[in-house]
Amino acid sequence: MKERKSGRSSVQQQQQQHLNGHFSPFKFTRLFDPDASWDKDQLGDVLHWIRQVVALICGLLWGAIPLVGGIWIILFLAISSGIIYGFYAMILKVDEEEYGGHGALLQEGLFVSIMLFLLVWILVYSLAHF
Amino acid sequence: MAAAVFPNLKYSDSLTVVGISVCTAVVCEAISWILIYRTTSYKSLKSSIDKASKKLETMKTDSNPSKLSVKKSKTKKIDRVETSLKESSRDLSLFKFKSGAVVALVLFVVFGLLNSLFEGKAVAKLPFVPLRIVQKMSHRGLQGEDPTDCSMAFLYLLCSISIRSNLQKFLGFSPPRGAAGAGLFPMPDPKSN
Repeated sequence: MKERKSGRSSVQQQQQQHLNGHFSPFKFTRLFDPDASWDKDQLGDVLHWIRQVVALICGLLWGAIPLVGGIWIILFLAISSGIIYGFYAMILKVDEEEYGGHGALLQEGLFVSIMLFLLVWILVYSLAHF
Repeated sequence: MAAAVFPNLKYSDSLTVVGISVCTAVVCEAISWILIYRTTSYKSLKSSIDKASKKLETMKTDSNPSKLSVKKSKTKKIDRVETSLKESSRDLSLFKFKSGAVVALVLFVVFGLLNSLFEGKAVAKLPFVPLRIVQKMSHRGLQGEDPTDCSMAFLYLLCSISIRSNLQKFLGFSPPRGAAGAGLFPMPDPKSN
């Protein structure tokens, strides 16, 4: 049976921390810790930045090889969304219902990442191959 | 500018466009910080939106009460908090709109400058053939029929959205998630434009 983690008590803990004015600095080890508790905003931000990094890497790769054609945009979307889903569902094992459902988590940073991916892809392709 | 530094690159002008976009994004966020983000009105509105949205989230995810009277009073409380959230979001939008005119002027001037520099010139090459509707922007003002020629306007649009949005996110100036109009595809905060 797949384990699900409730974020309710963790949200209350985070709120209490905010009220007390004690903010713990972000620790990257939390990214791979399935026992870590996540505030909705924190998780959203992490997913946003993961999408941007994936967009940057894909743009650099697609432009350098180069990969040409609109189909590679679809592939980027599939890879990017797959990584995000794998991260929150399999590594963090969060209960997506506590964070607004799969849609809310998958759309974090989606549009901006598409723009960034296109920008990097176009730039690398134009500068490296002409 | 970039053409002088990188004479061997056919599309070195794309670097000029990106460079100017980065500088513009930094300048716009600096202006936004001075006029909007450091003011007490903005801070208090943002704080009230954050609190209201978190409260709403907690109220909605709490277990459903069995008694009808308790359920009705809970629904009324949720409605009150939602109304308060919508009002705060509206006030925030209005506040940022009034102060955003200066940033809009900066963007307008920069776009005009870039247009005068690169009008009619392909600044990059697209590695795909865009949809017809996208070609209206990507091929704007360009000679010839090659749909993979990229105009300054399209590249500038990509730069604006990606660089400014991420810069706002990095600096913590993005609109709160609970604010109305965050939507499926959040754009760079339009009230800062």
